[in-house]
Amino acid sequence: MSDTFPAKPGDRVFRPKRIKRLHLRRVLGVTGLFSTAYGDVGSSIYYALGVVAMSALGLTPPVLIISGVVFLFTALTYAEGATALPEAGGSGAFAFRAFNPWVSFIASWALMLDYIVTMSISAFSAINYLGYFFHPLATWPANSIGGMVVIALLALINIRGIRASSRLNIVLVMIDVLTQITIAVLALLIVVNIPTLIHNVHWGVAPTTHQFLFGISISMIAYTGIETVSNLGSETRNPGRSIPRAVLLVFIAVFVLWALLSMAALSAYPVHQMPDGQWVTELTQRFLHDPILGIANVMPESIRPVLSFWVAFLAVTILIIATNAGMLGASRLAYYMGRRDQLPGALSKVSERSRVPMNAILIFSVIASGLIATGRITLLADLYAFGAVLAYTSAHASIIALRVKEPELPRPFKIPLNIRIKNREIPVTAVLGGLATFITWFIVIYTHAIGRIVGFSWLAVGLLIFFLYRRRLKRRQSPNFETGREE
Amino acid sequence: MEYSKILVPVVGTPVDESVMKLACRLARRDKEREKDKDKEKSKIWAVSVVAIKRALPLDAEIESEIRRAEDVLDRVQSVAEKEGFEIETDVLQARDVGPAIVDEAVERGVTLILMGIVYKRQFGQFSLGDVVPYVLKNSPCPVILYQQ
Repeated sequence: MSDTFPAKPGDRVFRPKRIKRLHLRRVLGVTGLFSTAYGDVGSSIYYALGVVAMSALGLTPPVLIISGVVFLFTALTYAEGATALPEAGGSGAFAFRAFNPWVSFIASWALMLDYIVTMSISAFSAINYLGYFFHPLATWPANSIGGMVVIALLALINIRGIRASSRLNIVLVMIDVLTQITIAVLALLIVVNIPTLIHNVHWGVAPTTHQFLFGISISMIAYTGIETVSNLGSETRNPGRSIPRAVLLVFIAVFVLWALLSMAALSAYPVHQMPDGQWVTELTQRFLHDPILGIANVMPESIRPVLSFWVAFLAVTILIIATNAGMLGASRLAYYMGRRDQLPGALSKVSERSRVPMNAILIFSVIASGLIATGRITLLADLYAFGAVLAYTSAHASIIALRVKEPELPRPFKIPLNIRIKNREIPVTAVLGGLATFITWFIVIYTHAIGRIVGFSWLAVGLLIFFLYRRRLKRRQSPNFETGREE
Repeated sequence: MEYSKILVPVVGTPVDESVMKLACRLARRDKEREKDKDKEKSKIWAVSVVAIKRALPLDAEIESEIRRAEDVLDRVQSVAEKEGFEIETDVLQARDVGPAIVDEAVERGVTLILMGIVYKRQFGQFSLGDVVPYVLKNSPCPVILYQQ
């Protein structure tokens, strides 16, 4: 049993004879952490740019920059949380320590929604990019069916346990970073046009205030994936140093690249008014599902075919890796929630044969496939935003609460820039970040009707499962109830 | 050759007991030399590595795997006791077995890794699997393979 998880009456206790603690081989350094986190965060731009531009139009670059700043605050929060509490539960673990199991459940369940949507949106986008090589794949229902096939194959791979090469992952991510840098630099030299970017903005008209707010809330999905870092805390060498460095590197990389890529996209595909009066950009008319290919499409003729081929190939690879990352994240989170008695064992237990939470992988894969079936990337983006900002808000609140309740908790990395309130150091970035994500969550609820309905339904179902499961556990642990269990 | 510190990775195959006996005899031979010189005492470590799939956190506790590792270490410990040797045992959790063994060897500064292998065929060819070649390639010290 874990040292931090005392046995309760009725628990079956397994005490290994000779093991005082399990000897973990921690292997990840800054490079491994960065590549894993970037593989998650860095894949978002392959679909996020299109959906953000659909709403934010000419304000897409500033919207991505604003959400980039919020991302920095969130990254700092996760850096402190992951180094202080290196558990697989992420914001759920922070909330469990800072508040109570209920708040922890809400944070974890919101995060679970995010992992499921990561699977859906990444698999769906991968097939759309594959449509570059075989056009029918870029249309519905082929892209939805293809996405479901990707998810099914990955579920099978993870259950069977075919070893993925972590070195290959690192190499692919590094190639992805270099490719994005190449495109960004080429775009800066050839495509980016400041007068066009300025003329793209028609204040209050294109975008409208509603669209602008919608765009800000959606733009948060461009930066999702930072949870990965906290999930890997237990296998990181020297987490107090590696995690903050990796987080900072990821932030710098995505902030600069997203700004440049969005400027390139809106320079190449200016905002204009359609005959029906609607303001659009060709980027979303033609490349909604594969926006980075849209940028490659405006490169000089001499390099366009090679670059487009390379971008499509790389996008497919990176997005499949991201789909797998979502699946692994959901699996680990399910295990973590089961360990905390937040999910029934049927969902979270580790299968004897496959040695993974097989039921969790299967059930969440089915849900992810169901979401893909609609073929609506905007629905997926809505749900993504709903879950992500809720989890981030919880993370910020937890870090602040821990500063108040446990000021002496060892924090290998402590967020700089604090204010002192009643003898407690409160991190300014966590306060600002928490406010920003909380307000964004309200914007998501207000502006995204489908996201609101599906998101709250997801929470409601989860809370019902949690409530019923906890009630059943309490009945089992009641002293009047004969369990017949032995230690 | 001096084998004062021997690492014996065990996996639960019948060859583990023979490997532990061999380790004890090699260490005993080294022990004999200790009487003449002012030497470091011989030590044997037996480790069982539990490979954790990426779908679980590294600190996941899989009871069945830990129990199995315990049983394996129990058996080799009793073999060592019969040979008159006290060994140290450890259960490691890692993503990959090969790197975990090599890291353990480096960390403990062992002078020999002694591994048992069973005859396996893959696609009609004799196969050493993935772990043994990795250890042979990356080991910081001599490696002896014992096949039964």
